[in-house]
Amino acid sequence: MTSGPYNYSYIFKYIIIGDMGVGKSCLLHQFTEKKFMADCPHTIGVEFGTRIIEVAGQKIKLQIWDTAGQERFRAVTRSYYRGAAGALMVYDITRRSTYNHLSSWLTDTRNLTNPSTVIFLIGNKSDLDGKRDVTYEEAKQFADENGLMFVEASAKTGQNVEEAFLETAKKIYQSIQDGRLDLNAAESGVQHKPAASARPLAAAPASNNNCAC
Amino acid sequence: MNHDEIKVVVQEKFLSSERVTALLCDAKVFHPEWVKKDRLLAIVEYGDEKAVFCLFSSCYPPKTFTDLSIEIILPIDNSFKCEIDNKPSDPEAILYLNLQSRLSKYKFEIQMTPRVDNFVDDLFRGIEAVNKIPTQPEFVWLKKYSVKNDDQTIAESIMLPKSNMHNTAPVAIRESLIKRKMSDKELEYTFTKNFTVFCGTWNVNDKSPVIPLKGWLSVDQEPPDIYAIGFQELDLSKETFLFDQTMREDEWYCAVLNYIDKRAKYIKVEKVRLVGMLLIVLIKEKHFQNVRNVICDTVGTGIMGKMGNKGGVAIRFDFHNTSICFVNSHLAAHVEEFERRNQDFRDICNRTRFVQIDQQPKSIKDHDHIYWLGDLNYRITEMDPITVKKLVSENNFKPVLEWDQLKQQHNNKNVFSGYTEGPITFKPTYKYDPGTDNWDSSEKHRAPAWCDRIFWKGDTITQLAYRSHPSLNISDHKPVSAIFSSRIKIIDEEKYRRVYEEVIKQLDKLENELIPQVKVDITEVDFGTVKYLELQVRTITIKNIGKLPVEFEFINKLDETQFCKEWLIVEPYKKCICADETCEIQLKVLINKTSACKMNAGTDKLYDILVLHLYGGKDIFITVNGTYQRSCFGCSIEVLVKLNMPIREVPVGKLIELENKRDQAVSNQSTYSIPKEIWFLVDHIYLHGLKEPNLFEQPGLHSEVLQIRDWLDSGSIDPIPGSIHSVAEALLLLLESTVDPIIPYNLQSICLKASANYLQCRQIIMELPEFRKNVFLYLCEFLQEALQHSSENGLDSKTLSTLFGAIFLRDNPNLVQEPQSRINKQIIDKKKAQFVYHFLVNDHSDLMFSR
Repeated sequence: MTSGPYNYSYIFKYIIIGDMGVGKSCLLHQFTEKKFMADCPHTIGVEFGTRIIEVAGQKIKLQIWDTAGQERFRAVTRSYYRGAAGALMVYDITRRSTYNHLSSWLTDTRNLTNPSTVIFLIGNKSDLDGKRDVTYEEAKQFADENGLMFVEASAKTGQNVEEAFLETAKKIYQSIQDGRLDLNAAESGVQHKPAASARPLAAAPASNNNCAC
Repeated sequence: MNHDEIKVVVQEKFLSSERVTALLCDAKVFHPEWVKKDRLLAIVEYGDEKAVFCLFSSCYPPKTFTDLSIEIILPIDNSFKCEIDNKPSDPEAILYLNLQSRLSKYKFEIQMTPRVDNFVDDLFRGIEAVNKIPTQPEFVWLKKYSVKNDDQTIAESIMLPKSNMHNTAPVAIRESLIKRKMSDKELEYTFTKNFTVFCGTWNVNDKSPVIPLKGWLSVDQEPPDIYAIGFQELDLSKETFLFDQTMREDEWYCAVLNYIDKRAKYIKVEKVRLVGMLLIVLIKEKHFQNVRNVICDTVGTGIMGKMGNKGGVAIRFDFHNTSICFVNSHLAAHVEEFERRNQDFRDICNRTRFVQIDQQPKSIKDHDHIYWLGDLNYRITEMDPITVKKLVSENNFKPVLEWDQLKQQHNNKNVFSGYTEGPITFKPTYKYDPGTDNWDSSEKHRAPAWCDRIFWKGDTITQLAYRSHPSLNISDHKPVSAIFSSRIKIIDEEKYRRVYEEVIKQLDKLENELIPQVKVDITEVDFGTVKYLELQVRTITIKNIGKLPVEFEFINKLDETQFCKEWLIVEPYKKCICADETCEIQLKVLINKTSACKMNAGTDKLYDILVLHLYGGKDIFITVNGTYQRSCFGCSIEVLVKLNMPIREVPVGKLIELENKRDQAVSNQSTYSIPKEIWFLVDHIYLHGLKEPNLFEQPGLHSEVLQIRDWLDSGSIDPIPGSIHSVAEALLLLLESTVDPIIPYNLQSICLKASANYLQCRQIIMELPEFRKNVFLYLCEFLQEALQHSSENGLDSKTLSTLFGAIFLRDNPNLVQEPQSRINKQIIDKKKAQFVYHFLVNDHSDLMFSR
């Protein structure tokens, strides 16, 4: 029998990172709910969202971890990078400082994920073109130099949000097809066929089995 | 636990008269939503009757019969069917067992083991046995094992997605939810269009197609979209009956293809035959691409209720978004046997099963449109044959039809309940002399009858014509046909996609909503100023605002072994909260000597981030912070002697620097020979308390100790607060809290060895670092003084040396040692006391302040 009874065949783990207030949670909300969340409170911790998408005829479940952007949580949020198949790195095109900090986010990502992790740079708030502080060209160059995928998006209008999440998934899927991503590696961030909701935060592996009977 | 032991446990679930004859421990049942679940399968025998039980066990292997619950009961009666399939990819290891009894059908997956043979043998013995006995078993004994029905189970599993916590079932439930939602919204993405359906039935009485069939199959203005043509008595030979082989099938099929309407091109959807019953379904070529899931089934109701000389054949398929089922049946013969015919109808309804991989089996009733045609064999018994013939010859059918058994049974809802038949305006189709239009001239002289009929069921079907075709006269029956205009639901692909996406989105939303959600009232807990040994408590409240119970736990951060710092206590740190309920969590901060030392040395601060994890959901960070008010408690002696001001006035950085440099050679910057705090306390006791009864034995008040702490730390000019006992306790606590004990840890074992020898003890003290020695001798001197007043204060040298022995020679908490036995500890404590004792009873003023 095929995977018929299930309606997805892979789980990809994503993390969303970037400075406070760049709109990480709004991007997640726009992606999972197709709505813009105005007055979104600061994320104190790590939010969790999920959606099933289709890539090359394969249903894929995305498990998305949206991390707190505040500097003081940086040490703790580092725990969540482990085992991410995709990392969405977000800055705010209207705040240059959020762009300037990208290299530090990128360093963390490179250090804490595996080499096949797909890193996608998102310049959020593209609807506020009038207040733009970072040009498209500049960011594009940064992305090219560091081998990142890149779009400018708007969690408010939804522009390019879907694309960013889907393109990341396509790239991951491509890596699987090419054999660049080893599904058996514990930290690939990809699970083939659905399994019980594994705890992607590797910090508490022992507690996973508590409720198994 | 082996198989036989499990069998014993399973047997206990039943009465002793009900014997478990075979057992499979590792079966999996496919639940209606196609979720595989581990089950035990048992065959249980009671007298002549057997049934298959499917049991769920709460643990594996089951320990007692109470672990088992009965989930499915399939009585082995004559409706029982058993089919075995192999998994094609893996024919060795897995078997699929399809068991069907009465109205229920289940599929089980079984690991191929030798036990399977026994089980299957036993099953087939049961089936054989039940088919030998003439009466249907009653299975009264099964009634006590009532089982809740499947619908309920499904409903429950949707309501309780334990899912988020541990199992995968909801995934499959999600799939079925999508199906259900899509069918609820069918109107939103379908439009309808009428198609014409031709149904024909003919009992050909063992004849070959020697005449053209055009007059039956191609007489209408427009070629129909679908043909469903049924034959009965295709071949009455014994070979056909026994071996189910006949040439006639091909002959008649070719004839049909030759004589259907030539103005359109047709393609075969399916044909199916059981002995003499043949059903052919054709569709216009241009519609064929919209036909899906074609399945057929046959049911024999003839001799022994099994054989195919009577019964039905059926073909189902989905045409666009409408499910269609055609049934061709030949019901029991004989004039009086209308009850038997009713029974045949019910048997065909109950036993026809369209089985498809990955889907619930469908029965006839599960279709939008049903067309039932055939030689139904109902007769006219209550009217004299001559009258019938006379009325019929006058085309006066109405009075005759009133006596038609089928009309009567149908009106009484004994048969074809819910089906419709159009008005009959044609002559009876049976029984003629073959080759003529004359009524049967044999000796029986039966009344003519409308044996050959067409019924339908479905809201959007209109009959356009219902007629017989008398010119086709080779059989003793005349063929009958009906034309229907049937409204078919057609999917608008674009709308379908839109609705599908909507449904998916809704479910995604639902799934996201089912992610545990809580609200924490405070995520930044500020303890303000925290003082040494002063417990502070803050409460945070977690409210479950989701729809499911939430289990939370504070979890470790990366590379940490504790979820919080040592000075923090979180209660409870793990709990389950029901929806809409709240849980209060107490955060308690207590700085004791261990944490105070770290705070003073700057290796720790009053700041921590706790990760509150919700199982299956998000993590919330709770920040804890406060300002530790530094105190002389928890400092090292070397630092204290250098502080010529109250500790609270010392800049933070300075203290940290001093603490970190304390091991370096003591310079002459030192202000005091002993810490001033020790001096203040000792001096106070010396001046005011030497005669205090129970000195060093009666505890002080905690609140007063805290006041004394503040007095020392702030350098107050007021007199020392509190009673002598509180001051004495503060002194002991202060001595206990120093980073190192007065006699350093590394000298402890030497001291213990030397404890019996005063001179050696003296030698050790002589060699102590300067300030340690000072403090030690100063305190001993003071204690000797106190002992002078033993008559008033009740002190004795033994008690004091024990008390101070434990302080001067404190055990190293960081040293992991084998747990000391009680006796061993007593010996060590004695030696410590002995060590100190020397200095309480001997004069050692010569050591004082010697450089």
